Amino acid sequence: MPVDSRRLQGPETTFSYHLYVNKQPQTHSQWVKQVLKSNGKRSDGRKLDDIRKIFLKTSVMSQAKGSAYIEVGNTKVICSAFDPREIPNNNKFSLNGELFCEFKFANFSQKKRRGFIRDAEEKDLSVCLKRALEPAVCRHEFPNFQVDVYALVLEDDGSALAAAITCASLALADASIPMYDLVTALTLGVHGDHKFLDPTSEEERLCCHEPPGQNKNHGLIVLAYATELQQVTQLKQIGVMDSEFLIEASNSLSSHCSQTHKLSQQCLAQVVLKTTKEKKRLLELGETFKKMDVGSQKD
Amino acid sequence: MASLMLGEGEKMLILHGVEDDMRNDGRTRRKYRPMELETNVVSHANGSARLRLANTDILVGIKTEIDCPFPETPNLGKIEFFVDCSANATPAFEGRGGEDLAMEISNSLACAYNSFPLDQLCITKGEQCWKLYADILILECGGNLYDAVSIAVKAALSSTEVPKVVGTVLDGGTVDLVLSDDPFDCQKLDVRRAPLLVTLCKIGDFCVVDPTAEEEMCSVASMVVSVLENGTVSSSFKCGAGSLHSETVKEALKIGKEVGQSLNQELEEILLEEQNLGPKRELFGFLK
Repeated sequence: MPVDSRRLQGPETTFSYHLYVNKQPQTHSQWVKQVLKSNGKRSDGRKLDDIRKIFLKTSVMSQAKGSAYIEVGNTKVICSAFDPREIPNNNKFSLNGELFCEFKFANFSQKKRRGFIRDAEEKDLSVCLKRALEPAVCRHEFPNFQVDVYALVLEDDGSALAAAITCASLALADASIPMYDLVTALTLGVHGDHKFLDPTSEEERLCCHEPPGQNKNHGLIVLAYATELQQVTQLKQIGVMDSEFLIEASNSLSSHCSQTHKLSQQCLAQVVLKTTKEKKRLLELGETFKKMDVGSQKD
Repeated sequence: MASLMLGEGEKMLILHGVEDDMRNDGRTRRKYRPMELETNVVSHANGSARLRLANTDILVGIKTEIDCPFPETPNLGKIEFFVDCSANATPAFEGRGGEDLAMEISNSLACAYNSFPLDQLCITKGEQCWKLYADILILECGGNLYDAVSIAVKAALSSTEVPKVVGTVLDGGTVDLVLSDDPFDCQKLDVRRAPLLVTLCKIGDFCVVDPTAEEEMCSVASMVVSVLENGTVSSSFKCGAGSLHSETVKEALKIGKEVGQSLNQELEEILLEEQNLGPKRELFGFLK
């Protein structure tokens, strides 16, 4: 286990106290009942195929070329994208530019404290993020250069990867990196016959367990979709399920993604409207100053 | 991946071959290349396997050690995958060159093995468990690393023998294990729920199974599906820089399931056949 010696290390044997506080429900049916109420609604009042409310904002960081912030329920992710720069330590020519992605959980983003050094899961998610964004970026526009994208999960309440993909694609657009399309992503949690669209972390935890009944399907599916291109840019599934079910689920996920795609577009359009308005206002202001100048010279 | 140089003409030839369901080496789109598999090739490992899939050469060694289980899962053992891309395969792997590829393969295996029953590795609940280290050495790469690695890992796991624990002694809160005196007194692992990865490489309008290194150059995206013995999918993801249409994803998953199921079956038969040869079978190793 690699450790950073410059940081204060707690004793190696610490573990989360939640193991004692939040005792898991004794039986499986109790657990399901806790997550899914009897009227078919989830613990936060949503129906099974409702997504949480999404808040999007671009240009949240002043130092990055482009940045975006997303809130999906309690999941909060901040992303920044930087200008193309030369690939360090690379001596051969690459026709297509590189996309460097880093996905990171903040130390305090989950119930259990995340380590400071990137672990295997974060490395896996970084690759996933890269693969999801790559097809949407015009990489031939910056040969031999790389664009850095950093996604930081501030709070993880489920579907963090999906939120990061949507957010990172907005950050890239905000950084004026040439792109074919905006990528949006959604997660589907599966547990037996229940399908949770855009699951919370509690629901995700349930979906990672095998249900006792006939239908053993369980797991999580993350689908990233470029709506204008009608292309699936990433499909990541963990858990055990039938391939027929997976095909069906990925179809329904892509149609849901098209809806969130509109939100991303709207967010960008608002920025454009705002800047043109601002420009117009400044121009007008300049005109009046000029008039005042001319007036004062006459006096 | 290893940088191969392919001209436009060569790429067209491969593309047209795939369209006509007759690839450069005479295979159809769904056929694997011939494989050579041998288990128990490394004497110091608890289980090992060597797979040669045409030009792809993989050596897997499994070592077992004793570890504490995670506090969240007190009754489960642990399994960890390490991939080492040897610079023997291609000079591009020299130094840290193969690190990204190695990480992608080991992560994909870790995802795929979420279905593997780790409770068989439990010794005492919450105190001690077996930890399996699956060390994968890529000696030569001729395309289709995911499939080859997963087959070799499953074969190595099936040959793995975990020492039998005959008793535990509780001494002032710490658990002491008593292992059997006989080094051959071991138990085998149940590998029926170990998955195999199937890569479906999209070339032109078709999905191709078991792509060669040249064919991989002609494709921008492929789906990797991990299939269990009963045909269920335990993980899947897209690799490569391109994207896929939903219809292609659908087709890839469908083909992946069928191919994976028959591959699982055939591997099981072959492993059984090897086991039936008994302990006195001739060892081939790396000399042919």
